[in-house]
Amino acid sequence: MRARSTRAAAASATLFPAIAKEAPGEHTALARVRARSPSVQPVAELWAALHLSHPGGTQLAHLARRAQRFTPRVSLERPDGLLLEVRGSLHLFGEVAGLREALLKMCGELRLEASLAFAPTPLAALVMARACKAAQVMERAELVGKLAELALGTLRWPPEIVERLKRTGVRTIGAALRLPRAGFARRFGTAQLASLDRLTGRTREIRTAFRPGESFRRRHELSCEVESHACLLSALMRLLEELEDFLKVRQCGVMTVECHLLHRQAGMTPCVLRLAAPGADARHLGSLFAEELQRLVLPQPVRALELRAATLLPLTPAAPMLWQPGEHGGGAGSEAHALIERLQARLGEAAVHGLTLLDDHRPESCWSMTAPPAACPAYLTRTARTTCMARTTRGATSPVSLRRPLWLLPVPQPLAMRAGWPWRRGLLQLVSEPERIETGWWDGEDIARDYYTALDIHGVRLWVFRERTAAHRWFLHGIFG
Amino acid sequence: MDDPKLARLLEHPAIWRGRSTARLEVLPSGFAALDESLPAGGWPRSGLIEILIARFGSGELSLLLPALAALTRAASARWCVWVAPPLMPFAPALVAQGVVLDRVAVVGGERPLWAFEQVLGSGACDAALAWGGRPQPRDIRRLQLAAERGRTLGVLFRPRRAAREASAAALRLGVESSPGGVRVTLLKGRGARGVVLLPDLTVHHAAVTAVLA
Repeated sequence: MRARSTRAAAASATLFPAIAKEAPGEHTALARVRARSPSVQPVAELWAALHLSHPGGTQLAHLARRAQRFTPRVSLERPDGLLLEVRGSLHLFGEVAGLREALLKMCGELRLEASLAFAPTPLAALVMARACKAAQVMERAELVGKLAELALGTLRWPPEIVERLKRTGVRTIGAALRLPRAGFARRFGTAQLASLDRLTGRTREIRTAFRPGESFRRRHELSCEVESHACLLSALMRLLEELEDFLKVRQCGVMTVECHLLHRQAGMTPCVLRLAAPGADARHLGSLFAEELQRLVLPQPVRALELRAATLLPLTPAAPMLWQPGEHGGGAGSEAHALIERLQARLGEAAVHGLTLLDDHRPESCWSMTAPPAACPAYLTRTARTTCMARTTRGATSPVSLRRPLWLLPVPQPLAMRAGWPWRRGLLQLVSEPERIETGWWDGEDIARDYYTALDIHGVRLWVFRERTAAHRWFLHGIFG
Repeated sequence: MDDPKLARLLEHPAIWRGRSTARLEVLPSGFAALDESLPAGGWPRSGLIEILIARFGSGELSLLLPALAALTRAASARWCVWVAPPLMPFAPALVAQGVVLDRVAVVGGERPLWAFEQVLGSGACDAALAWGGRPQPRDIRRLQLAAERGRTLGVLFRPRRAAREASAAALRLGVESSPGGVRVTLLKGRGARGVVLLPDLTVHHAAVTAVLA
């Protein structure tokens, strides 16, 4: 709401600057307009800095996640600082006093000791928070005066530089700011001068925004060692429900979920689930894990479970179709994914595949297996199908493609011979003109064959060939079916 | 029956007549002679068909392909799944017969009957073909129910000797090759009274060519 009104004010300011001056959001609006004009003046930001007295492990990231409810512009200053740009949030949270109270309450809930300061530049806010000054500076003009008496150590410059400055009698930020710039940069380094510039807002500091961790990893210790699949599954369901919550707030889904079953001695047994489409539904994942667990042989009872999902993918919730699959107009979308997943979970990943054509004349290499067909809604695949149909009709009109058998043997099977003619439970009767396939010299798997359609004594139509090379043997290569 | 009033009355949707098959959704088989002899005038749109063959490759697949091709080419086509085929289906031949390969999936693996039931009941497939496994009459019933649930045409290929067993399939055909064609015997058909034995029906390969050209 706030952001929108500010934007509207900014827009009106570009058109009617005189009106914008009177508007309540005057400050921000004008600053934005100025920022767009060539003579850039920084947007009037207000930064809140939290300095933790005893930072530990992941507490800072946890705090940052919680702090995102105050403003989207949260950034970390490791190991113990957290910065929030709060100019836009002041009104909503009851100005600085209300915001201060809310932030400190949040730290209290997490049992963290923190000091808080507000200033127009991030570094100034940090420095004041480090100095445990519960200060608030709203305007840049007041900034230098407030900072002047703070110790240099709060800037966290390299210790030897702080020491050298001390020896020259410079102990506070104010004293450092009074030194001539050129000389300061030469003697104490340009990095330090740049840091002073950022401190006072002479140059604008761009902070990288904090993004919450985009991977899921939870562990569940079982109260006793468990061997039964039912118990494992019910423990796993709890983790999967957590995963579902985690994914739902992010509007994400996963395609790979790993579950590690930890044992007392034997290390761990991995159990990996791959989905055909991003999913987040705990019950669906649970039913797939049930299949996976059934196939799993456990070396030892399980002591703990760990669930990991590394890559999060955007999840577009599918609208259910009006028609049932199979009814007029009804296609198959989610059912198809669910089917692939169920089959792969039980039979192994290689068990399901699709077919595709390759540009080659050799029967062995003119087709290949592919990933299972994608189950897109019909309107998406229509173009693909039209091209495919075009190819189909082309294929059907060429007389040669009609002579291909529906079944192909994985390798040609040598046929017995009687007086130079092929024999299979009886003499084979050749019923077609020969078709010569002679190609593939470029990759060493060249073939030179004459293919015939043959009938065996039972009337089964076979696809046989005779080698064109010296041995002139006969082979069975396909069955018309 | 010639009374128009009676005819109009009999059209009422609440009236179901024992021998009526008119309301079954039907898929043309692509062979006029076969369509005439099938109980509903074509393959049923959903349900289980058993095809009993004396010898693999007798022409049983050619019999189905025109219908399969038509299914894969439909605007809202679902999949056509082959469960545990004894050999690999040859993609160029399928394309030549008009099948859209994007809609074809092959499922291998050890449990053909389980996979077949999953495929039939999923609702993701227009048709499913399965080979192998040794289904008991109870399994056939399960498969038939799954096929109706998923609105899928299921085709189960079994050896000829299975004709002695009872079956809950909607349609049972015997297929064998004969000189110059395929002989199809109707062993069981729903909508017909009991088991009907039709005179032999010969579908010529020439007919296959004529339909597809």
